[in-house]
Amino acid sequence: MKGHTPFNWIFTLLASLVLLFIIAPLAGMFLHTSAEEMRTTASDPAVIRSVWFTLAIAFTSTILFAVGAVPLAWIMARKKFPLKNAVQGIIDLPVVLPHTAAGIALLGFVSREGLLGGAAQKAGILLVNNGAGIALAMAFVSLPFLINAARDGFAAVPERTEKAALMLGASQSRIFFTISLPQAWRSVVSGFIMMFARGMSEFGAVVIIAYHPMIAPVLIYDRFNTYGLSAARPASIIFILVALFFFVLFRVLATERRQIFRREDDAAD
Amino acid sequence: MLRTEKLCKRLDSFCLQDISLEVARGDYYVLLGRSGAGKTQLLELICGLTPPDKGRIFLEGEEITRKRVQDRGIGLVFQDLALFPHFTVKDNIMFPLKIMKLPLKERVERVQRAAGAMNITDLLLRKPGNLSGGEKQRVALARTLVTEPSILLLDEPMASVDASLKDNIRRLLRRLNRNGQTIVHVTHDFGEAISLASRVGVMHNGRIIQEGTPDEVFTHPANRFVARYAGIKNFFRVVFIKSYNTCSCITDNRTKFRLTSGDYPSSGLLILAAGEVLLSRQGAAGLQINNIHGVIEDIVPSPTGYEVTVNAGDHFFADITRREMDEQKYVTGEPVIVSFRSESLRLVGEGEEKKEY
Repeated sequence: MKGHTPFNWIFTLLASLVLLFIIAPLAGMFLHTSAEEMRTTASDPAVIRSVWFTLAIAFTSTILFAVGAVPLAWIMARKKFPLKNAVQGIIDLPVVLPHTAAGIALLGFVSREGLLGGAAQKAGILLVNNGAGIALAMAFVSLPFLINAARDGFAAVPERTEKAALMLGASQSRIFFTISLPQAWRSVVSGFIMMFARGMSEFGAVVIIAYHPMIAPVLIYDRFNTYGLSAARPASIIFILVALFFFVLFRVLATERRQIFRREDDAAD
Repeated sequence: MLRTEKLCKRLDSFCLQDISLEVARGDYYVLLGRSGAGKTQLLELICGLTPPDKGRIFLEGEEITRKRVQDRGIGLVFQDLALFPHFTVKDNIMFPLKIMKLPLKERVERVQRAAGAMNITDLLLRKPGNLSGGEKQRVALARTLVTEPSILLLDEPMASVDASLKDNIRRLLRRLNRNGQTIVHVTHDFGEAISLASRVGVMHNGRIIQEGTPDEVFTHPANRFVARYAGIKNFFRVVFIKSYNTCSCITDNRTKFRLTSGDYPSSGLLILAAGEVLLSRQGAAGLQINNIHGVIEDIVPSPTGYEVTVNAGDHFFADITRREMDEQKYVTGEPVIVSFRSESLRLVGEGEEKKEY
C-alpha cells in the first residue's frame, strides 16, 4: 500500500486484525495436532467414509437443485412480475434463518407425516436419516448462494445481445444456452461452488434431519462430544484439507471446461 | 415495401403517436431526431421487439404486426452493436446461419463473402473485445447482412465510430444501398441525413413532424425544430402588416422586415439562413433589400470562416468568410448593418409552429 499516512496505517492494522482472527484458530488447530494423530485419523474408515459421503451428497444436491435454481435466477434477472421483491425475500430467507430452525422446519416437511416425506415414503424412499434428506437440508440452506450469484451474472449480460440473437432468428432456448448462460457462466459457476461449499459445511439443519449416516461436520461434533477436543481436531483438519482441495479443483475445472467448450466449438466449424 | 399505419405505443413516460411512414424498395430512409425522440422505440416496434398498442405494420404488402420477430425477415443493427463477446467474429457472423441450418459449406462461404464485403476477413478469429468501433460496426453489419434481410434497420450506426472512420462507414452504407439494400437509418446527426438519405423523416416527441426528400425538408422546414436541424439560427416571430402595395412584418422587438408580395397570415415565424445575411458598414442598395442597424455582439470561428452575432434588438447570425473578415476586420461592439434580400426570408408552417417545438 503506497503512502505511509495515518489513515493507511490504521486501515492496514484493522485489516490485519481481521485476517489474524480468521487465520489464528485454523493455524492453532494445525499446530496442536501431531503427525501421529493425523496418520491415525486419516486411516480411520469412519472418517474417510464420512468425508467422501459429505462431498458426494453436497455435490449431488448442488447439481440437482441447480436445474431449477439457474432458471429461477434468470427469471429474477430478466422478468418483471408482481411481488418480485417478495420472491427475492423468500430466496434469501434460508440465509437469515437459524440453521437448526431451518432443520426443524424441513423435518416437518420431509418426515413421514410431512408433505414430501409422505410422498417419498409411498415411493419407498425414507428421507429422514438418509442421504436424500441430508441433500435436502444442505440445499435448503445453501440455495441462495447459487441463485443470487447466477441472478447477478444474468443481470450483467447485456440484454441487447439477447435481443440481437432474437433478431437473428434464435429461439428463446437457444438464446439462453448459447448467449445468456455462456456470458453468465463465471457467476453461475461461482454460485455453484459457493452452494457446494456451503452445503458440505452445513451442520445445524443436517443434524436435525439425519444424525446418521454421518456427514463430516456431524462426525466432528460427535468426536468432540464423545472423545474431546484432541479427537475432533485431526478429523476437522482432514475435512478442511479435503474440502479446500475440491473447492480449488472445481474452480480450476470450471475454467478449463470453459476453454474446452470454445475449442470444440471452433473445431465444429 | 415497409409501411406503418398510425402506430402508437405508450412507454413509461413517453408515447409514440400515430407513426405512419412508407419506405419504398431501395430507399435510404433516415429518421432524424434528438435522443429521446422515440426513434429507437420505433425501430423496435417495426422489427417486433416491442408490440404496438395500436396501428399496423406491413412489409412487402403482408401485415407483420403480430408476426414473430424471428420470422419477419428484418435485420437490425443496434446502436451498441450487441456483438456476442464470447464468440469470435466468425462465430458471430455464423450464428444466424447455424439457426438457418444451412450446410456447413454454404455457411462458410457466406461468412467469407460477408467478411470480404465488409473488409473484415483478417478479423475472423478475433473476439469483439479486441476490435475498434469501426471494426465492430462492420462485424455487426456482416452478421445482419448474411441473413439477407429484406430491410435493414440501423440504430445510430455512427455512434461508436471515430470521426475519422465515419466516412468509411458512410461509403459502405451508400454502397449497400446502391446494391439494392433498403435501409432505415436512425440518427440525431443532420450531416448523416444529408449525406445518405433518399428520404428523411424528422421525429420529435414521439411523432414524425416532417417527411420528404432531404432537399424538401431542409430547404422548406415545416417548423422551428426542423429548421434548427438544418442549421438555421435566425428565427423571428412576427406580425404581418398589409398595406396597399407593400408587404412587411414586425417582430416583438420592433424590427421591421420588408417582404416579397404574397399572402401572409396575421402572424407567424420567419427564418433566415445565416449564409444569406450580409454584413457591412454602409448597407446594401436595392428595392427588396432589408438593411437593419445593429452592434456586433460576438465573433466565433466556424469551419468556413466566422459566425458573427449582431444585436439589432433581435439577434442576427451571419456567416462570413475568413477573407471578408481579413478585409473588413470586424470587432465586437462595432456598429454594422445587417442586409438580406426579402426572398431569403421564409415563413415556416404556422400550424406546426403553434405546437411549440
